[in-house]
Amino acid sequence: MDQKKILIVGFLALLLIIIIVIFFTGGGNEKIKQSREITPPELKTQPEVPEEKKKIALFFLSEDDDLLHPEEREIQAKVSVEEEASEAIEELIKGSQSALVTPLPPETKLRQIFLTKEGIAYVDFSKEIQDKSLSGSEAEMAAVYSIVNSLTYNFKSIKKVLILVDGEEAETLAGHINLSKPFAPDYSLIAQ
Amino acid sequence: MFLLLFLSNFSFSQKQPLLKLSLREYPKYGRVIIGSSSAFSYSFEKNGAFLLVKIEAKVPFKIQREPFENRFIRSVGWSRRSDSYIISIEAFRSDFVYAYFEVKAPFQLVVDIEAAEKSSPVIVEKEKKTEEKKPEPLPTTLTPPAASTSPPPSPTPQPQKQAGPSAKGIKTIVIDAGHGGLETGAKGKFGTLEKDITLGLALKLKALIERNLAFRVVLTRDKDMDVSLENRAALANNNKADLFISIHCNGSYRKKAHGSETFFLSLNATDEEARRLAYFENSTSALEGQIEADNQDEIKMILWDMAQTAYLKESSQLAEIIQKELNLLLGTTDRGIKQAPFKVLTGVASPAVLVEVAFISNPEEEQKLLDGEFQNNVVQAVYRGLLSFLKLYS
Repeated sequence: MDQKKILIVGFLALLLIIIIVIFFTGGGNEKIKQSREITPPELKTQPEVPEEKKKIALFFLSEDDDLLHPEEREIQAKVSVEEEASEAIEELIKGSQSALVTPLPPETKLRQIFLTKEGIAYVDFSKEIQDKSLSGSEAEMAAVYSIVNSLTYNFKSIKKVLILVDGEEAETLAGHINLSKPFAPDYSLIAQ
Repeated sequence: MFLLLFLSNFSFSQKQPLLKLSLREYPKYGRVIIGSSSAFSYSFEKNGAFLLVKIEAKVPFKIQREPFENRFIRSVGWSRRSDSYIISIEAFRSDFVYAYFEVKAPFQLVVDIEAAEKSSPVIVEKEKKTEEKKPEPLPTTLTPPAASTSPPPSPTPQPQKQAGPSAKGIKTIVIDAGHGGLETGAKGKFGTLEKDITLGLALKLKALIERNLAFRVVLTRDKDMDVSLENRAALANNNKADLFISIHCNGSYRKKAHGSETFFLSLNATDEEARRLAYFENSTSALEGQIEADNQDEIKMILWDMAQTAYLKESSQLAEIIQKELNLLLGTTDRGIKQAPFKVLTGVASPAVLVEVAFISNPEEEQKLLDGEFQNNVVQAVYRGLLSFLKLYS
């Protein structure tokens, strides 16, 4: 009986030691794993399979109301969000394929899109986007939010959009809407 | 029963209109407000340390006077003549300056008394309005005892201050005619330019306000010229604007777009800025001690940039009231009040709205915008909106 007790106590003590050892060393391994996960964030977004089609929605105006209406497009899946977003914006500039109204001047060129880690997309247009002849707060709001909503709606990593003109920050497109700060999406402008 | 009450009330007020005297004190001047249930005609005479206000009255007033204590006004007395009242305002010294203006509905004559400064060209700024009302000399019999020792009242009008406010201090209205110069704004199908329409409306509105109210009206531009958006806000702030109204015509890619709408600012600030701003507002002095000069400038710039945030509630009320009047007078489609991040509004440190009168991109509305009567209605609507807003804060 006594021997058995000693054996059990001994076994328990051994178990305890093993548990303690595992706790510390294992914990250490955990920590290393975690820090490994933090270091390579770009790698996670990279491995997307090319040669794949992706459906997106672009937002245009309608003569019937002053809301933004979605129109579907298929774009090529690309390795980076920037490339896909660029294709989306280029499609937006090309204009509606149905009876919707395009809220951007057709001469506008997209120069570049750059996405920050914080999810702010810098979208750089040529100066033709500053359409003076149609200046009006409605036209400007439509231009801004067709761009902003088209990007944020389709690309989860884009949280906000800052519009640049000819590579620089612009005050407004044509005298109304303040472009100096990034825009969050406004989905209340989208027709249901 | 109610009718009786009403009638008796009515006849009472007919018989004995109320004349209410109240006093205010401001850092630089004392103010006497003579309010009445009906408009009256009046004249001024300065005599020594006294300013005598003669008020024509066919029927006796019931006079109500608030108790007061004032650094600029020693006493306010009144006496009755056969067909007039004399309100005597006594200053502490005989070299005081006074200024006055009217507020309509309810009628108020506001008189400001200020101790004269030896060199104060500041208050010589005048408006046509005040020139029209040169103080008429009063009959000599009305002069108080002080008259014998003081020099005779000068026949020239006293330097008048820019006309001021209804009760809660509305003094200066800034009207912003959208666009100008190379910035033509939207263009109509018949070639109408937004900048021309907005300038015309702004000039008309200024004239209407100055004809009826004793407010100071400042235009961000009074001719066809470029003014940057930042300078428009700065001009308003430098003039200590109490209200800011920007006038625009809308333009759209949609051919059918039509109607009128009034905007106030929506914020498009990043979270970080909002946090910094909140922190700064809560601990101004503490923060100023902590941060270096460079950073301070930066934060002040952000504050300046967001000056409008403190006035959003008033701005929304002003927008609502003006939109209501536009709906009543214009016969255009009501597009309602809206919020948008308008650059011109962000820096304005007063209630501020932007009126999109109608769509110049819509040929039908372009014609309306060119029409004199339509323009008068626009101006009338904004003016009425201003009046209602002022009442709200008086």
